[in-house]
Amino acid sequence: MTSGTITDGPALRDPHTPDSRIGHGADYLHAEHTLRSWFFTTDHKRIALLYLASITAFFVIGAVTAGLVRLALVVPDGQVFTNDTYNKLFTIHGVVMVWFFLIPSIPATFGNFLIPLMIGARDLAFPKLNLASWYVFMTGALFTLASVVLGGVDTGWTFYTPLSTAFSNTWVVPALIGVTIVGFSSILTGLNFVVTIHTMRAPGMTWFRLPIFVWTHYATSLIFLLATPVITVALILLIAERAFHIGVFDPAYGGDPVLFQHLFWFYSHPAVYIMVLPGMGVISEIVPAFAQKKLFGYKFVAYAAIGLASVTFFVWGHHMFVNGQSDFASVAFSVLSFAVAVPSAVKVYNWTATIHKGSLKLDTPMLYAMGYIGLFVLGGLTGLYLATLAINQHVHATYFVVAHFHYIMVGGTVLAFLGGLHFWWPKITGRMYIEAWGRISAFLIFIGFNVTFFPQFILGYLGMPRRYHVYPPEFQFLNILSSAGSTILAVGYLFPMVYLVYSIWFGKRAPANPWDAKGLEWTVPSPPPAHNFLTEPVAPKVPYDYPLQARETGRQHS
Amino acid sequence: MSAGATDTAVGVKLVSHFATVEQQKRAAVLGMWAWLLTELLLFAGLFLTALILRILHPEAVQAAARHLKFWIGATNTVVLIGSSLTMSGAIQLSRLGWQRGMVRFMLATAALGTLFLVLKGYEYYADYHEHMMPFLSDRPYELKDSPPSRLFVNLYYVATSLHGLHLMTGITILLVMTRQASRPGFLSVHQNRIEIFGLYWHFIDLIWILAFPILYVVNR
Ligand code: HEM
Ligand SMILES: [Cu+2]
Repeated sequence: MTSGTITDGPALRDPHTPDSRIGHGADYLHAEHTLRSWFFTTDHKRIALLYLASITAFFVIGAVTAGLVRLALVVPDGQVFTNDTYNKLFTIHGVVMVWFFLIPSIPATFGNFLIPLMIGARDLAFPKLNLASWYVFMTGALFTLASVVLGGVDTGWTFYTPLSTAFSNTWVVPALIGVTIVGFSSILTGLNFVVTIHTMRAPGMTWFRLPIFVWTHYATSLIFLLATPVITVALILLIAERAFHIGVFDPAYGGDPVLFQHLFWFYSHPAVYIMVLPGMGVISEIVPAFAQKKLFGYKFVAYAAIGLASVTFFVWGHHMFVNGQSDFASVAFSVLSFAVAVPSAVKVYNWTATIHKGSLKLDTPMLYAMGYIGLFVLGGLTGLYLATLAINQHVHATYFVVAHFHYIMVGGTVLAFLGGLHFWWPKITGRMYIEAWGRISAFLIFIGFNVTFFPQFILGYLGMPRRYHVYPPEFQFLNILSSAGSTILAVGYLFPMVYLVYSIWFGKRAPANPWDAKGLEWTVPSPPPAHNFLTEPVAPKVPYDYPLQARETGRQHS
Repeated sequence: MSAGATDTAVGVKLVSHFATVEQQKRAAVLGMWAWLLTELLLFAGLFLTALILRILHPEAVQAAARHLKFWIGATNTVVLIGSSLTMSGAIQLSRLGWQRGMVRFMLATAALGTLFLVLKGYEYYADYHEHMMPFLSDRPYELKDSPPSRLFVNLYYVATSLHGLHLMTGITILLVMTRQASRPGFLSVHQNRIEIFGLYWHFIDLIWILAFPILYVVNR
């Protein structure tokens, strides 16, 4: 089948595309120009860009509120904002960053853009559903955003009962409705990916020829499908409880407040892997390309993705060590949490082994990837501290936890996101950015990040609790350090926003494969044609067929 | 995708981003199964909580469960199983291309679904009379000194109304689809829609078949 046969179908796909455009190599950005052609597109690449624009906007909102939180913490006496304002600010920050940035970020943008290209398909299995999930996402997100901004919510992003059901007199219900709606968008995206990866692979694209990026998205989609319904129930019950006092969580009516934590963390711990797994997928593409070396232990990396996605369902109780759950449960959850370290370490070892003796090119994506590995290791190791029962007693709900989850979530997701953005930017836009600026941004972010969050480990260890803006004066120095670091970080984030946007108009034209990378997405022009492939894609015989081979894996796969 | 002994051709039209009709059908079926899996989990959370509550507070829950209208629930079980049968009939006829008969079976399915909702509505009404709606502050709850029974009854309402919501959605889709499917030529381009919808309908039935014993019957 060649592009010739593609021409007789597409009218079904997008009735607004003039026939003359189709199959003649018009790239997806220029195939059509109307606003309508963007907002009603069913092209997975354009939908990816809709998501990119929206989550960038949410990131900015999240970052500004973070800046305000840090500003308040410069002085120990809490004079910058009132209690109430401070609580609302960190809630906006947490809600927006977790629900509307971190969770959708990589899957909805790169996953949408790349999965069909990487497996040799013309689109996702359900293009209209894909568009619908963007609308669902925007509806829910804007709804929640309006309620946290107009009315305010002070429960933190975790909405813990009984604060959220009985005591907080803020706009909890509308905020929850929005988050519930956004959950459906996750489910639909996950469903689309699973079906696409199962049924739409090009001939010859067997499971063990798939890029790790696709594997990690497969694992992520399973979590979307299996965990999101549970948070949906939890939120529905919470809404019902608040609106009708039905007494599921309120002990006064026979409910159990810990039940909410069980339901919440049964989703939200796996959600951490929704955030981290796609990042791992991105890193697994970047590292081999910039080492020009085959990914070490491909199969182990693939299995580790599925392993992580499975184990992650059995550790939620490590968020509840101090809330009175039985000692037996705590011990079990502690041990299981240690087990998560195994597949995570597999990934890190395999990246390191791939870099080892590779011919390294330290371009921007690779700098981000190296930064990612560093932050992820530190975040992961401190996770082991937290999973240790005795240490958890000491640092629970302190800044130690705040530092830990920022290392994992910001280090693990945002750095991978930015690395991926630089790696695939030429493919997405057809333009090159200015390399020197990219490198500067990677350095600024790495340094700013560590200056911001490392002091928080110490603060937490010394006993500074999270979610308070009045603290003993002896903590001031470390807090100022952290706030200063956040300024560097903010500048670091601004950089790419400027030079990437600049490159869209003034950047050099990008070749099809600027990095000599492997994978089907690099075989099509940059930007890709509207229907992805001008000729029938041919699946590679081996994944990551780079010139340098790791000796061990050479045997393993031939 | 050829027709059998039929009055219309039966088949599925290829949408351009798929390579073959087979692939397209496989994707549709897998998509529906994945969706049903998430739906099952949605209910599983509620059912599990109800079961755990029964284990922790058997007397209180039984006292509440005895107030549920067992016979209405049982009748409704039969009604829904009947609707699954008529839906299967519709699917079978759609494969044969017997459009008329298929449409009749679909209407019968919708009617049985509606009957279920009517009976359920009557049941809620009876509960209301017996002061079995703990969330209504103006009608003091019958078993007022028993918080676990209250929680159980509340879970019952959340679970059954969520199920009812699914049924209402199902009936709406079914009616819209019946209208489309009665146009000539429908079965030659979208036969698989009937099959996919059938999966959803059987699922609604399945959820009730799980809900009925868990809520009404277990150590009654
Ligand atoms: C720009 C630099 C950032 C700074 C200075 C910052 C600062 C903070 C601070 C101070 C808190 C603790 C509030 C408290 O518990 O009292 C916090 C919480 C949090 N941050 Fe960040 N943050 C930044 C970036 C991010 C990013 C990029 C993400 C996600 C991608 C993120 C996710 C979270 C989450 C989930 C919480 C928990 C909120 C809660 O528990 O309610 N942060 N952040
Ligand atoms: Cu966790």
